[in-house]
Formats: sequence, C-alpha cells, structure tokens
Amino acid sequence: MKPFSYSFSSTISSKKMKQKKPSGVPYMVNVDKGEEGEGVLLDTFDNELLLSGKLLLQRGNMLWLQNFNSGTFVDQQIDTDWSYVSDLEQGPVTLQLGMISKLRALISVGTVAVKKDSGTILDDEGKTRVRFNNLVFTKGKKSMGVGCTQPLRGYGKAHEDLKEWLLKLGVDPCPIATDLYTFVGLGDDLYCAKPVITLSSTATVKISAMIIIQTFLGVARRNEDGVIGDYDTEFLHDYRVSLRKVRSVLSLFKGGFAGDETSRLKNEFSELMQQTNTLRDLDVYLLDQSTYYKLVPTTTHAGLDVLFAGLKKTRKTEHKKVVKYISGKNYASRIEGLEKVFSKPSNLESGANSDANGRIFGCNLILKRYVKVSKIARLIDKDTDDEVVHQLRIHCKKLRYLMEFFTPFFPAADIKSLIKSLKQLQDNLGRFNDYSVQQLFLKTILTSGNYSSGKGLMVAESIGALTAMLFRLQRKERNLVMKNFARFDSSEIRDCFNELFNVEGTCQ
Amino acid sequence: MKIIACYSNKGGVGKTATSVNLAYASAMSGRRTLLCDLDPQGASGFYFRVKPSKKLEGRAFFKDVESFTDSIRASDFENLDLVPANLTYRDFDIFLSRMKNNRSRLKKALKSVNSDYDVIFLDCPPNISLLSENVFKVSDKIVVPVIPTTLSVRTLEQLYGFFRNNAYQRKKILPFFSMVQKSKNLHKDTMVALRKQYKNVLGGSVPFSTDIEKMGIHRAPVLSYAAKSSAASCYGKIWKDIAAKAKIV
Repeated sequence: MKPFSYSFSSTISSKKMKQKKPSGVPYMVNVDKGEEGEGVLLDTFDNELLLSGKLLLQRGNMLWLQNFNSGTFVDQQIDTDWSYVSDLEQGPVTLQLGMISKLRALISVGTVAVKKDSGTILDDEGKTRVRFNNLVFTKGKKSMGVGCTQPLRGYGKAHEDLKEWLLKLGVDPCPIATDLYTFVGLGDDLYCAKPVITLSSTATVKISAMIIIQTFLGVARRNEDGVIGDYDTEFLHDYRVSLRKVRSVLSLFKGGFAGDETSRLKNEFSELMQQTNTLRDLDVYLLDQSTYYKLVPTTTHAGLDVLFAGLKKTRKTEHKKVVKYISGKNYASRIEGLEKVFSKPSNLESGANSDANGRIFGCNLILKRYVKVSKIARLIDKDTDDEVVHQLRIHCKKLRYLMEFFTPFFPAADIKSLIKSLKQLQDNLGRFNDYSVQQLFLKTILTSGNYSSGKGLMVAESIGALTAMLFRLQRKERNLVMKNFARFDSSEIRDCFNELFNVEGTCQ
Repeated sequence: MKIIACYSNKGGVGKTATSVNLAYASAMSGRRTLLCDLDPQGASGFYFRVKPSKKLEGRAFFKDVESFTDSIRASDFENLDLVPANLTYRDFDIFLSRMKNNRSRLKKALKSVNSDYDVIFLDCPPNISLLSENVFKVSDKIVVPVIPTTLSVRTLEQLYGFFRNNAYQRKKILPFFSMVQKSKNLHKDTMVALRKQYKNVLGGSVPFSTDIEKMGIHRAPVLSYAAKSSAASCYGKIWKDIAAKAKIV
C-alpha cells in the first residue's frame, strides 16, 4: 500500500472533512490541530531529501521528518549544533536520514512558519484505520500545505476511502514536495551536479560544445556561495569538476573553436582551477583522516595528531585565500567574462570543425579514444613503467568525459552501461593515482622543514609509516589494472562501442 | 525473529493481559512486534479494538501463507501489529490432524513474516492440544503466568510433566507470578516454595490490580494508559527479563 501525498491551499479541518464525507464511508474523522511556529526547511544542496521523498524541518531544538514514501512522520530532539547526519545522536529522524551522503551538510532551503495537523480515521470501535499528516506553511500572507496519508497494515480499504475523501476536498496529488521548495524561494531550478543536457541531433560541434560549456559553467557558479560558506567539501569538489569538464571540452573538441582562442580559454580555466588546488588536496586528506589512522600502528598516532592538526590549520588559511579570491572583483569579472563569451556562438571564432555534425564528431572522438585506451592497456604487464599506467588513467578519464558529454545523442541505457563498464577500471586507476599523489604530498610536507624539530620527529615517523602503507596499497592497485582492463576489453563491450559509435567501419 | 508464547493450561491466569502488555513493551522498545491471538475468544484483538476481517472468516487460516499474512492488522501503536482471533481456530486442531507434517504448519506460517518482525508473541488458548504442541515446538520461550495458589501450581507441574514426557525443551518455560496479592500468606508461601523448586521462575511478578482490570474499559495495554502504575512497571521488568533470556537484541 503506497501512501498518498498531496498539496492543498486551505486548512483541512475535522469540520470540513465531515462536510465532504463521501457517501457510504462508515468512518469517523478526527484532526488534531498542531502548534504554529517558525521552522527551517533543510536539505542537502543537491536536494537528496526532496528527491528521496522526504521533508525535513528544524523547529528550535526539534527535528520533524515527513516521509512521503512510507507516510510516516517522526520527530527527534536535538541538543547540539549540527551540520551532517553523523553529528546527530541516534533517533527516529537520524534513522531515516541514513541514506544521505556522508559528505553533504544539511543546509537551509528557507525559513517558514509551519503548523502540523494530524488526522485519524476511526471505525465504530474507535480503532484507527488510517492516519494522515498535514503540514501548513506560511510565508508572508501566502500559505500552502502538503500532506501525506499513512496507510496501516490490513486496512487497505480505509486508505482508499480516505484518498477519495481528500480528493473530494480538493487536494492535488503530488509525489514530492517540489512546490513547497518553490514556495519557500528555492525556485524551480533544482541543483544537479550532473544535469541532463539536451542536444539536437543536427547540432554542430561548436553549438554542442557551447551548450555543454554553458551548462557546466553554470554548475560551477552555483557552487561558489557554498565554497565561500564552506558548508561542506562537496561544493568545492563539484565546482572543480565542472570547471575541469569545461576545460576538457575545450581540449577534446579539437577544431570546435579557433586554435588561438581555444588555447587562451584553456589557460583561463586552468588558472581558475589552480586557485583551489591546495584547498582540495587538503580536503581529500582531512576527509580520509580516519582511514590513515587505521593504516598505521597506534604508536605513530601521536605524530598523525600533530600532522592533521597542522593540516587543519593550513586548510583554514587556504580557505580564507579562496574566499578572498572568489569574492574578489578580479574573479567576478573573469568568470562573468567567460560566461559572456559562451553565451553566443558569434562571440567565438570558429575552428576547422565548428560546423561539423556534433554527433558524428562525438562518435569519432569516442571511438578514437577507446582505441587509444585499448592500445595502451594491452601493452601493460607487471613490468610496465608506472608512467604508462598514469597515461592510461588520463585517457580513460577523457573517454569517460566524452561519453558523458555526448550522452544526449545516444540511447541513455546503452551509453550508461558502457560508462559503468569503464568505471571499475577507472576506480582502480583512480586509487592507484591517489596513493601516488598522497605519497608525493607527504614527501612535500617532510621536505617543507615545518616538522624538523621537537614534535617534528614524531610526525616524520608517522609520515614514514604512512608512506610505506600507501606504497603497498598503490602496488596492490597496480596489480589489479590488468585484470580490470581484461574485464573491460571483452568482445561484448567492443561490439557495443562499434554499434554505438562506429559510423565508418570496425575498430579493434 | 524470536517467538515468545504466552501459555497456561489453566484459564483466567492473565495470559491475554500478559501477551498484550509484553507485546506493547516490546514494540515500545523499538522492536517490530506481532501479536498472534490464537485464542478463539479473541480477547487480545478486543483489547486493541481490532476486528477480524470478515473476508478471512471461514478461510483455512494456516493452510496457506497468504491468508495468514492477509490477516495481519496494524494496531494503534507504532511497531505493533496483530493477527486477530479467527473463528476457524476452533477447527484448527481438526485441520492440523488432517494435514501431513502438521506440526510444522505454524512454523511455516510464522516464517513467512520473518523479515517483517523482530518478535512474535503467541497468545495461546488454555489447553494442551495439537495447536499448543505446535506452539511448544516453534517458540523460543514460553511465558507461563502462575497465580500463586495450589491449583495453578498443579497445572504448572502438569506442564513440566508434559514437556518431560514428550521430550520438549523444559528450559523454554519461563513461569512468573501473576495476580499476586501480597496480603495473602498462601501467595507469599507458594512463591517462596516454587522459586526454590523451579530455577527458571522470573524475578518479577505482576500484582492483582484494578489498573489491569481496567484494560477492558480502556481497550489498550495498561502500559499505555497507566504507565506509572506498579502493574505497568512490573510488566516492564518482566519484558526486560524475557528479552535477556530469549537473547532478543
């Protein structure tokens, strides 16, 4: 039995319900009026709660959660300041928030006056047969309500009767509370780190590139406030990934724009990204803190304490630098300038392939990159230089980006399954690279001279232990590359690449 | 999933009050709980205001899993569902005797809801029959309310004897004293003697209480409307003991 969720414009009272009772329905209704007070609607920046059919409100030291999938309403007292689900103590609300990404903070969607009314439908014995909860939100002079039924096991008929009853009252069925987000001022344009891009099959290379760049530039810009506010580390991550994708379009869509212009723009985006390199590196380190502690003997933990305390301090300074940079006039004029450049095709000088068909161009690029990946990977054995493995990683990443960029041109299921098959190899190569980068980072710290005396010896010992473990893990990943590639190099996947992207012949 | 039966081969000892309050205590402790009213008198269902479905009357109840799961009704309390008594229970023994492998029928039915519940309570009718033998086999613990009087003690002895003769696990039996009137010397003496004789007797006991008698008026567990009463705290204590002995996590 699925709950029935709905929106309504005016309060649903017992009196109103009694007046609109459908004929033949044998039940009594009772609506308990709740208190009214100010509350903050919370969600992650990418609206994980809304998309999973949940509504979370904080009223003072109480959390309210309405689950539109189960129809249940739960509340929980909170005693401390919190940002992440992991900050909350165990309780019914925490339990329902278990699906939220550990990396995402819950931030305010908007502040509203809110009232919760609870309704019950009772039989002649006074037994509850179905429940419903109505939340009425008020902002200024306007108000709107969202409600949800809570079916009870064994009472399907009563639930159907209530649904009919509510519809007779004029409620509008709504599967998720998007309208409410709009009402509190979030707007219709919900954030998504990987938005669906629409490209026409006749779109040229230049137009396709511009649409993709406009989209990801938009994604990057939407993360700026979050980077400044430092609500969680995903804002910076998404910001950087989006800029990296823009830069990739510029370098992969060869001839899409004039050569000189492409080089200039690539440099511009590289410079933009460089400003946040250190902050992201520090974030990655700090996010993995607990893993590092698990990797090394407890005798070296005191050294790690000093090391991470230092990293946290550096991160604070680094974040201040980034805030100053992103809030500055120079950044604003640069990024606005770039947005303007990509707003109209005529703003950019065309290249040799500008007018070519985007789909065919994309097919060729993907296929060429796939062949390149296969060629390099097939040469890799246990003795191959690590540099070649790094090259393979970069080509795999480019292949993945190309497939993602051109997804709109192909059947979504087919391309998604190909991306998925590449992912396992990419994850393997990604970890191989991460371990390598982390060792280098630790080496930089050691040679920085910051830890040369006193507690420095302790830190050096910890870094030594950690580097040895990271090296071991890197070798482990290195040994998995051949196996993972062999899985990706199957005849089925090769056929799939040919079928989707080969507009000329067959690739090997 | 753990199965706790509430059983006595003597009537009027407080089996249903025990089942209803223990099931409520289990649900309130966050465990998904199902109370099966196996007594045709349907008192558990009455206390929770749950009527048996008319559609289900006359259907062979444990014959197929579907009719068993269809009969489950949510109570008014979170985490607590109920299988109301069904008239066909009267014929349940006849039904079981006709079936092959009849002793595993109850188990099969209960297994079908294994993932839905953490604890299942069985409120049993006061007799020794094929149904109760099913209950003895399938249950993890059998909670036996005993009024500390001569007749009740005799029925407990009979139950232990039946278990011994049929090679059932006697350690499953968890007796506790019910409807205790501490002003009566007979009650006090019997309790002392029985605790000496049977080591499994639970530490807590439930007093004879008007709060419990009022369950019929409130039609709800005493723990829900008189949570601070001594009867309520006694049921709470007994539930904790049972949960520990049955290793209910």
